[in-house]
Amino acid sequence: MSHTLHRRGTAENLKNDFVIFAMSAKGINEIDSNVKLRRFLEIVREFNPVNFGDMKTGNYFITSEETIIASAKDTSIVHGVFDNREAFIKALKAIKDADLGVSVIVSGLLDDTHECCRQAGINRHTCEASLGVWGKTERLPDEDILRVSTMCGHGMVPFSLVKKVIEDIKEGRRTINEAAQELAKPCQCGVFNPGRAAALLEEIMCLWGIRVA
Amino acid sequence: MKVDESKCLGCGRCRAYCTMGAISFTRDARGRVCAQVDQHECVDCGVCFRAEVCPGEALYEPKPEWPRSVRSTFSNPLVEHKETRIPGRGTEEMKTNDVTGRFKWGEAGMAVEMGRPGTGARFTDIEKVAMALSSLGDIHFEPKNPLTGLMADKNTGKMNPEVMDEKVLSAIIEMTVPLDRVQDVIGAVRKVAQELSTVCSFDLTCKVHPGDTVPAFDLARKAGVSPTINGKTNVGLGKPFFEEVKQ
Ligand code: SF4
Ligand code: SF4
Repeated sequence: MSHTLHRRGTAENLKNDFVIFAMSAKGINEIDSNVKLRRFLEIVREFNPVNFGDMKTGNYFITSEETIIASAKDTSIVHGVFDNREAFIKALKAIKDADLGVSVIVSGLLDDTHECCRQAGINRHTCEASLGVWGKTERLPDEDILRVSTMCGHGMVPFSLVKKVIEDIKEGRRTINEAAQELAKPCQCGVFNPGRAAALLEEIMCLWGIRVA
Repeated sequence: MKVDESKCLGCGRCRAYCTMGAISFTRDARGRVCAQVDQHECVDCGVCFRAEVCPGEALYEPKPEWPRSVRSTFSNPLVEHKETRIPGRGTEEMKTNDVTGRFKWGEAGMAVEMGRPGTGARFTDIEKVAMALSSLGDIHFEPKNPLTGLMADKNTGKMNPEVMDEKVLSAIIEMTVPLDRVQDVIGAVRKVAQELSTVCSFDLTCKVHPGDTVPAFDLARKAGVSPTINGKTNVGLGKPFFEEVKQ
């Protein structure tokens, strides 16, 4: 369930995209971990994330931060997304200092998150990378659509919805930011980065046609 | 997902929210335009319903019977698997490795995420990959993964025949392998991928070894596959911290 692993893009357009999330281990440190997961969300919130959420409750664009925090359960996986490297490092350091005892995972460019960990005084424990997409790749849409859609690893942001908001922007029915926020809604966990989506949509606008699978 | 024809206004708002392109339009008995969901293609992910775009409240999800019930458990992240109590479709994998010690020194975690991104997978394809991996021997499928629970034979990767016609948004075949088998697994996936009617995303996990190295990534490179520049890092803040017994 590697929901932040398969974000696609270049070093340039992935560089302002940092996800931090936490969970407890079932049967080990799970009991009463909801208190720690709530504290995690409160700390993340202090550093102005661009998205925020818990799969069980939803994200910043469909419900309030208070509801997300208050609803955290022992089995929750709680997330925050930053588009600002300095804020991300500060959040990481604050989470370390809080010594919550739940597992914390960061996602982004591996070399850069390594450096951010170092600056926050944290050692990496385990790393995961993607080895890419295999099989009938001709069934995939254009890379421009994939870069936006794969920000939700669960596949909740349909290729067709990315295409629709592109058409909406072109026809003046939505602004780029409104479109990016619409795309953030179905990603229940709150790991979709609307700022990155807006930047990617901006780039796509100059294209005439987009192939959707 | 189904559409109540008596409530559907034929407005078309739901269509773009369908992950599988399973919503199309037809005319009902009275000649009105009405949405319909191709039940063979719909993976019961619930995205169209949760989007709350239907002005007629015409979309509804009947409680699925076995074996259709596997569609929502693998496709709708809000539905928890009984085995793992984790919503979504895999396990905790590397996310809690600092506490569970699931992946140890000298091991790699590998996973094949069938149907990801966004194409969906049928169990016929999932079985092909599971069987190709099983044939390598000494591959340890993650016992807590819900897919492992659907294998009729865990030694061969053969799936329960009852689910073979089902389609899911994605399903993850997770395994732990000794580092010296990483290249064999890559070779097996490379070969079986040519027979698939869908796509899969391939994951590689490894503990950060002394000297800040990630040996599994180097092994993948030697097998001709470059790990992505982005990924996930468990930063080791969980407690109680899993300490490996020195061999
Ligand atoms: S449940 Fe998912 S696959 Fe089925 S119609 Fe709705 S969006 Fe499409
Ligand atoms: S959004 Fe609702 S009313 Fe409109 S076409 Fe879809 S099912 Fe019918």
